[in-house]
Amino acid sequence: MNILKKIQLPLGLLTLISLAVGAWYVYQAPADFQQGGAVRILYVHVPSAKMALLSYLFLTVASVLYLWKRWEGADIVAEAATAVGAAFTALTLASGAIWGKPMWGTWWAWDARLTSMLVLLIIYKGLMVLRHSLDDPVKGARATAILAIIGGVDLPIIHYSVVWWRTLHQPPSLTAAENSSVHISGPLLPPLLILSGAFILLGLYMVTVKARQIEARRRLDALEAARMHPDE
Amino acid sequence: MLKAAYRIAWKDVAGDLRRRATLSSMLFFAISVLVVFQAAFEPDRKEAVRLLPGLLWATTLFTTLVGLGRVFQAEEEDGAFEGLLLASVPRGVIFFGKWLGNLLLTLLVELLILPLTMVLFNVDAWTQVPAILGILGLGTLGLTGLGTLLAAMTRGARSRETLLALLLLPLTAPLLISGVQAVAGVLQPDGVVAPWLKLLIIFDLVYLAMTPWAFGWLVEE
Amino acid sequence: MVRLEGLQHRFGQQKILQGINLEVHRGECVVLYGANGSGKSTLLALLSTRLTIRVGHYFLDDIDVNRYGDMARDRLLFVGHHTHLYGHLTPVENLLFFADLRGLDLSESRLRQAIDAVGLSRSADKPVQWFSAGMRKRLALARMLLAEPLLLLLDEPYSALDAQGVGWLNAMLNRYLESGGAVIMASHDPERVAALPHRPHHLARGQLSSMALPGESEPC
Repeated sequence: MNILKKIQLPLGLLTLISLAVGAWYVYQAPADFQQGGAVRILYVHVPSAKMALLSYLFLTVASVLYLWKRWEGADIVAEAATAVGAAFTALTLASGAIWGKPMWGTWWAWDARLTSMLVLLIIYKGLMVLRHSLDDPVKGARATAILAIIGGVDLPIIHYSVVWWRTLHQPPSLTAAENSSVHISGPLLPPLLILSGAFILLGLYMVTVKARQIEARRRLDALEAARMHPDE
Repeated sequence: MLKAAYRIAWKDVAGDLRRRATLSSMLFFAISVLVVFQAAFEPDRKEAVRLLPGLLWATTLFTTLVGLGRVFQAEEEDGAFEGLLLASVPRGVIFFGKWLGNLLLTLLVELLILPLTMVLFNVDAWTQVPAILGILGLGTLGLTGLGTLLAAMTRGARSRETLLALLLLPLTAPLLISGVQAVAGVLQPDGVVAPWLKLLIIFDLVYLAMTPWAFGWLVEE
Repeated sequence: MVRLEGLQHRFGQQKILQGINLEVHRGECVVLYGANGSGKSTLLALLSTRLTIRVGHYFLDDIDVNRYGDMARDRLLFVGHHTHLYGHLTPVENLLFFADLRGLDLSESRLRQAIDAVGLSRSADKPVQWFSAGMRKRLALARMLLAEPLLLLLDEPYSALDAQGVGWLNAMLNRYLESGGAVIMASHDPERVAALPHRPHHLARGQLSSMALPGESEPC
């Protein structure tokens, strides 16, 4: 965990710089002739959606490592990735709603992506609650790791079932609107790429900070436990 | 070895029939859910046909939660769960037994819920009953498999029943979607059923393959 | 028959056991003494395979238990504070359930015999939920007559038993030891154990040391 302390500051600076560069590009980018200024929200929405899923991938790998090798570090990273992933998922949903209001005329639509994201948010929340509702922290960690892996297997199934559901059932107008969100090209592309990179750095930075905080809290808990039961 | 699994299931089912505890609470819970739906939506005959798949699956899902909340209740008694783990059978077999017991009870309840729903909501689709039961049963395999694992996971957790619902409902989204669509497909003359059945089977296979292993990992200390 | 080499265990940061070495032969009874929280129950839980051993080796009847836990569980029986009984089942049904989980093929008359032997014949067909703690304990111990394990692990076996129960348990354990079984028991009741031939050990600060008979057990 010492490595986290070392990389935190440089990682933070790098994140800040790349976010600033990305923001400047977004400011410079032309407004979309169809979507107007609202298109700029997508520069936050699309990278954060990527991070929401990437965090889950990260979480799954950390969980497998924890169950397999029993490294406490992997569990700390998993716990941190859960919180970070939940934050990005919430940001994705919020930015999607803000974008949806001018574009679709509604805050919310049961489109395949938004539905999957909502389910993902509930899964993240479930992981957080499960960890803290078991009294034994080791049991909580194991149960959470297993649930994370099960969720990781479930996510593609959820995604495809929702896509099938929406495509077989949906009035086509929304599907078209949904497609417009991915068709970003030409001058809109460079800021999106830069911001995607910046969000990956941001995610790593957040995991670093959160992991250090979790580690410190666990050490405090251990000290507290040792103080309460000096004999054991 | 399978005898051990069968024995565990027998103990749970027979014990429950003796006390009529889980079965009757599940059944009466299901009836209350149906009453709530009726009061909330007041569907006429035509709407009822359209709502039936959703009603049926929502009721099944909620009712399953009641049953799952109790799967490991008998095991809380006097360290019985520990006793199971000390048996000289692989942990997967123990899981299989617990799952089987829950599955049988849930199927029994579904067998009663379906005609009840159709009577209460005046839906005349009696010729489709076997098909609908088949779809319900197919979905129940995976649903109870995943549910039994989550019930084991939340053993001894604070406010476990809420937690169980929070964990189970998002993960069963594919099941709910495909189950509802499949039943709707059966009820409509030109309905699509096959792809949804495929999705149900995939869900079942994935969870029935994964959960016994996951259980083994879960109970290891 | 039982060999422990350098067994360690920790809960989180706390080291509960730090290097336990012990050898128990057929017909031997080892009694573990120690204060509450000294790790007796943890040691028994490790030996019963309920807890997984991370550091150290455990051989039972030449089986490496760390690897072949399922096989080892066949050969040992653990009776602890909990009786692992189901209240809604009768003693006969409880024992039948136990026998099936262990893969024992036993007739009902054999089960009733075991219930008679622990003095519960009059309640053999009543649900266990109405039993007193002592009756439950006897029923839990009746399993030992059915399972015929190589190694018997007992955590405070005398608790909840009356004087008659203690005498009966000691007689049963004596017969068991004579037939070549091995016992490891945790207790803080030297008086009641006195009726059994045994080797006392003391567990403190995660270390095991032999008490009364120095020179016979390995240095810790």
